[in-house]
Amino acid sequence: MVKFLGSSRTPAAFLHGDIRNTVGNVPMEWYQDYPHIGYDLEGKKIFKPIRNKDELDEFLDKMENPDYWRTVHDKMTSTDIRLTDEQISLVHRLQSGQFGDVNFNEYEPYIDFFSGETMIHPVTNRPQDKRSFIPSLIEKEKVSKMVHAIKMGWIKPRKPKESDLQFYDLWAKEDPNAILGRHKMHVPAPKMKLPGHEESYNPPPEYLLTEEERLAWEQQDPEDRKLSFLPQKFSCLRSVPAYSRFIHERFERCLDLYLCPRQRKMRVNVDPEDLIPKLPKPRDLQPFPTIQSLIYRGHSSLVRCISLSPSGQWLASGSDDCTVRLWEVSTGRCMKTVEVGGAVRSIVWNPNPAICLVAVCFNETVVLLNPYLADKLVYNATDQLIASYVEPEEERPQPVQWQVPEIEDSDKGFRLIITHPKSVKQVTWHSKGDYLASVLSDNSNMQVLIHQVSKRRSQNPFRKNKGLVQCVSFHPIRPYFFVASQRCVRVYNLIKQELMKKLMANCKWISSMAIHPGGDNVICGSYDSRLSWFDLDLSTKPYKVLRHHKKALRGVAFHKNYPLFASGSDDGSVIVCHGMVYNDLLQNPLIVPVKVLKGHTLTHNLGVLDVAFHPTQPWVFSSGADATIRLFT
Amino acid sequence: MSQLQVRFFTENAKYKVDDVPFSIPAASQVQDLSNIINKLLEAKHSKICHSNVEFDFLVRGNFLRTSLVNHMEAEGISTEEVVEIEYVQRFMAPQPEECIMHDDWISSVDTESEWILTGSYDKTARIWTQEGKAVMTVAGHTDVVKDVAWVKRDGVTSLLLTSSMDQTAILWEWNVERNKLKARHCCRGHAGSVDSIAVSPNQTKFCSGSWDKMLKIWSAVPTDKEDELEEQRDRPRKKQKTEQMGLTRTPIMTLSGHIEAVSSVLWSDNEEVCSASWDHTIRLWDVETGNMKSTLTGSKVFNCISYSPLCRRLASGSTDRHVRLWDPRSKDGSLVLLSLTSHTGWVTAVRWSPSNEQQLISGSLDCVVKLWDTRSCKAPLYDMAAHEDKVLCVDWREDGLLLSGGADNKLYTYRYSASTSAA
Repeated sequence: MVKFLGSSRTPAAFLHGDIRNTVGNVPMEWYQDYPHIGYDLEGKKIFKPIRNKDELDEFLDKMENPDYWRTVHDKMTSTDIRLTDEQISLVHRLQSGQFGDVNFNEYEPYIDFFSGETMIHPVTNRPQDKRSFIPSLIEKEKVSKMVHAIKMGWIKPRKPKESDLQFYDLWAKEDPNAILGRHKMHVPAPKMKLPGHEESYNPPPEYLLTEEERLAWEQQDPEDRKLSFLPQKFSCLRSVPAYSRFIHERFERCLDLYLCPRQRKMRVNVDPEDLIPKLPKPRDLQPFPTIQSLIYRGHSSLVRCISLSPSGQWLASGSDDCTVRLWEVSTGRCMKTVEVGGAVRSIVWNPNPAICLVAVCFNETVVLLNPYLADKLVYNATDQLIASYVEPEEERPQPVQWQVPEIEDSDKGFRLIITHPKSVKQVTWHSKGDYLASVLSDNSNMQVLIHQVSKRRSQNPFRKNKGLVQCVSFHPIRPYFFVASQRCVRVYNLIKQELMKKLMANCKWISSMAIHPGGDNVICGSYDSRLSWFDLDLSTKPYKVLRHHKKALRGVAFHKNYPLFASGSDDGSVIVCHGMVYNDLLQNPLIVPVKVLKGHTLTHNLGVLDVAFHPTQPWVFSSGADATIRLFT
Repeated sequence: MSQLQVRFFTENAKYKVDDVPFSIPAASQVQDLSNIINKLLEAKHSKICHSNVEFDFLVRGNFLRTSLVNHMEAEGISTEEVVEIEYVQRFMAPQPEECIMHDDWISSVDTESEWILTGSYDKTARIWTQEGKAVMTVAGHTDVVKDVAWVKRDGVTSLLLTSSMDQTAILWEWNVERNKLKARHCCRGHAGSVDSIAVSPNQTKFCSGSWDKMLKIWSAVPTDKEDELEEQRDRPRKKQKTEQMGLTRTPIMTLSGHIEAVSSVLWSDNEEVCSASWDHTIRLWDVETGNMKSTLTGSKVFNCISYSPLCRRLASGSTDRHVRLWDPRSKDGSLVLLSLTSHTGWVTAVRWSPSNEQQLISGSLDCVVKLWDTRSCKAPLYDMAAHEDKVLCVDWREDGLLLSGGADNKLYTYRYSASTSAA
């Protein structure tokens, strides 16, 4: 406004003499430090007024001057100018957005000189120049020059731009056979489920939800719902409303596509079967007993113990009916029955084939019985051997009493009677057949006695009682002696008279023990239905514990020649295992259970009481509480 | 119903029919085919000459037991071509004849043309007539009689052999007319129970197999000379005399090689002995030189063997429930020609038919005696389930008498003949 005023001639300026400033449109601050503020038309300085109006003057002016509202200060000349009425009305008009000129008619009629209408006559009727339709000679000349230059090779076609390789094959170096290859990892987007009958506008009635189903559906969490919508029935397609869940569903689909894991997880796919150590199949481990072949019937009470003759022709069995029976193995014929004075706890055939003796223990006695079942020479030699005993000159105190039986006992086949102070629960022979060990049920230190038959001498090898002895056994080759107490097996060296090893069986109560014919492995059966295999070279802990039986084990046995061992249990079954022992010290024994043999019926909760192998054939005998002995071949 | 083109043929000229193909229903059973043949024969001969005969049919050497089409399917025979069917007269089922009671288990049985000899667990052997009448009790062994054998018959005297668990075999002379029995020789030398004896075809020698793993060849000719026995020097001579039955005889030859008990011996001809053992082998021995000729190795304990000179096959019964047929001439030694499987227990006895080269019987611990035909190896021809306990011995006499004895103390005899007309 000020500029406008300053740069324009106003009638007021003419009134007070022309004091127009000529500095032009420059900031007046430039003249702040000068006494003048510019130059008038004659080039004379226009001086600033001596005294500027201060705030107070301004206020007084505002209060007193009625024309104050129409007074403007002109910075160019530092004068106050009172605006005229025309000027005021111009200001008002401009402020209200009207044209400044009062007389300007903004709605004057429009004169259309050049209209959009195509006119039939040209605006000018001048004919076209000739040159506009004649080929230009200059252009022709220029073109022919360029053609000539191209022909002469002066102008060469523009070289194609040597473009850098802007892109390259990202996967060129990829191995097509790689497991993580791109195409192998391709996971197609999951497909949407195709609509079913329940999506129909008119679904079959069985797809419509009943009232309860609908309530249940509504109460379910949206994630748990089987259907994401309620099937609805419409009479015609026309009445189907817009699908209200459309956006929602599309969104979910997008989420599915976007969040779907498009990466194949390389899970280590290990078949649990592969983690099991490879055991040979039982049919590759033939021969072993598979089927029950013979039943030896005759006993009237449970058969506690059985033993095979070294030749394998005869079987001796002892029973709670106070008899010892001798059987022909091949036919099941009971050849002899010998009455003894008590329930037979243990019976062992002398392992020496040159001696025909069976050790039978019942009550407090151990009887050496000649069954007369062998070569005539052998059993006569046995009788002579026992008869050839000469009394030693000086009587030694013996823990037991050796007796030659009376005549009626002698007729039964009894050859020697060893009377113990307490009842005897087990006897066992040394492999040479001269020494005999017996176990007494006693809590004192006299639990194990070793007898020498040829000298009729007995001794108690242990001074201290180290737990209740369950069974004892001689080592088949070396002078070792195995004593099984309730929880452990102690191995003694009989020559050095010292404890060699103590095998911890990890079970509550050992019931039976068998020594491998090689002598380096021991199996123990226990009443808590475990069978522990010890490798004496490996450790004093069991090399393997087999828990195949359901009830307490009563008897275990090794085969003499075949890699077999068997265990009999109160559950009425005999389990035959392949137990291969290698000469190579680096290779651990191979133990494979091969067969469960069933046949015995449970009587008084007792099943199999003893097992024994045939000395030459892969046959196993088991005696049971049902008063039978069974042969499995 | 589908039809099959068949052509019938037979060896028996009496029952020959015209050699033309017939079209018969595929589901025909043996009975239907038998009716067809009978109709044809009736048409060929007059109705009076021909009486109804039961036939059995073989398709490619195997007995037909199911319907024809099933059998051909099982054998893999094409049903497109003309099927050649052989027919033979049906073997009649063995007819039970006698049941001879014993006092104890019967361990062995042997027959000759008239008499039956059985060995028993009561330490005796017995001679019976065919009708079941006890003629003679052969007592003398001190232990179970394990095997018996007839040696020969010379007019009114017969020679017989018994072997026992008391480690001896005794050669007896039995005078039939006076019914007198005399122990001629006591064959001593074995160190175990003598489980098996066999007399050579020319009846001059016999062989014994024992639990002591040895085979011994003895002379079967009775003499009055006693062989020297060195081993019993320390015993008083007099006592020995009183104990012994007959004169002591020592073996001509001992064949050793088995590593387990010998369970069964037989002579395949005059110079060759065959023995089966618990060591899973059958061995053939040359008696002249005493050498082992060949070994047939099985996988299980052998209980018994039998040899048929007609088909030159060995049949063995073993503890794995199979009857196996062997060719003893085969050089590679362990070729099983055929396994006959139907028993459910140990096979304790086998015996070839002396007259028919395809038939044998077997006895087993499962109490059943089975009659087999090698042309029908899947199932036996007949089961004889009379026994109530283990069958321990069987025998087959030339005239078609089958015998079986076992642990139920009974000896059953059956009459069996190949055809109705022959009976």
